[in-house]
Amino acid sequence: MRSLKTNIIIMLISAVLFHITLAWATDDDSALETYNRAMFNFNTAADDYVIKPVAKGYRAVTTEFIRERVRNFFGNLKEPATTINHSLQGNFADSGKSLGRFVINSTLGLLGTFDVANGWGLPKNKTGFDTTLAKWCVPDGPFIVLPLFGPSTPRATVGLVADDVADPIYWADYYATFGNDLERYSFYYGLTTLGFISLREQNIELLDKLTANSVDVYSTVKSAYIQNRLKIGSCAGQKTENNDSYDFDFDDEDDFE
Amino acid sequence: MKKLYALLFSAFMLLADNARADVNPADAENFVKNVTQTGIEELINSNASTAEKKERFTKLFNQDLDLDFIGKFVLGRYWRTATPKQQEEFISVYRKLNIQTWSERFDDFKGKHFEFLGTENSKSEDQIFVNTQVPMDEGKPASVKWRVKKTGGNLRIVDIIIENVSLAQTARSEYTSYIQKSPNGIDGLIQELKAKLK
Repeated sequence: MRSLKTNIIIMLISAVLFHITLAWATDDDSALETYNRAMFNFNTAADDYVIKPVAKGYRAVTTEFIRERVRNFFGNLKEPATTINHSLQGNFADSGKSLGRFVINSTLGLLGTFDVANGWGLPKNKTGFDTTLAKWCVPDGPFIVLPLFGPSTPRATVGLVADDVADPIYWADYYATFGNDLERYSFYYGLTTLGFISLREQNIELLDKLTANSVDVYSTVKSAYIQNRLKIGSCAGQKTENNDSYDFDFDDEDDFE
Repeated sequence: MKKLYALLFSAFMLLADNARADVNPADAENFVKNVTQTGIEELINSNASTAEKKERFTKLFNQDLDLDFIGKFVLGRYWRTATPKQQEEFISVYRKLNIQTWSERFDDFKGKHFEFLGTENSKSEDQIFVNTQVPMDEGKPASVKWRVKKTGGNLRIVDIIIENVSLAQTARSEYTSYIQKSPNGIDGLIQELKAKLK
């Protein structure tokens, strides 16, 4: 049985890829922009009416102590992806540390809800398949907006799916033997939803501030997302981050369009 | 002849070096240290009332941020096509909105401490980057880069780059995209920004 979450992601990505291919085929940047803005508006509506209210409700019925346990639990499930990807990037020491974190936190940290390893000199050092691809010189591609998952690029999307396959929830789903299909679906779907809501809860203030003072939220998010991605670095092992990109000059007509 | 070239070259390098040294790195770093100390470690963490905090922020930002310069930059090419009246109106509302936005940004750093990591050169002779980082509760520290410009002997901040995201570049993308799509152009933008003021 393939994880329901993976099924949903693959379904959404197929829909997005269709639009991107269409935009490329017609050699029209504005087609992609039109699709992106429409999807962005859809996500905003879904967020306004469903996701954000649920995230606020989640905050209302839980204490910070509980929310931290939930954050740690889901953070710990990302650790196997981090372990694998540090290895793929040739950082074997970091890979070993990440594996150590996973073992310690999954056991002594009570299924990852407590970050015991951090206190033992093994701080969190997250990475993923997207970064691995960047180090392997795979180009990023254009800015795209995924349904529900939001801002992304083709490379980031591939990373998202690959990291999901390294998630223990996916393995558990694959090999699960308990209960009937419906029970298993409910269990995994519930967990995935909780992870999503926990993530949204952490960003309530951030996104509120971003949208409050912006006259064109899509452009703000797109610009910030693209700039932030540059810190991932390039295949030369050097950061693409370059002060030149921040050096501004009024008389330069071509640096934005 | 070769000697002459070498001499000319070294003279040129000396000049270039002098131009680079326009902004003293230590001065720039001290300047940013001072802003983070008064702005964050003293103001945000103090028990002053909201009204008093706002007043002190306004003073700090008007003094230490070059909002005229930033305002021109964020309008991009539309700055040149704007009438003097539009320019003046835009800068005025942009100044107010920024004081509002930046006080909120600074609020995010409540209880946090800035670590200074030295400076980096800019392409522009009158500017320099001051690198800092802020340790976070979990994960890696957040990088915060300050772009400092020397105007008429005074140092001013012209951009803050948090985790690679430049506030000025982001605002520029936002405003130019808005003007491009808006039927009322710059006037539409000015109205929209006025509505955002609290």
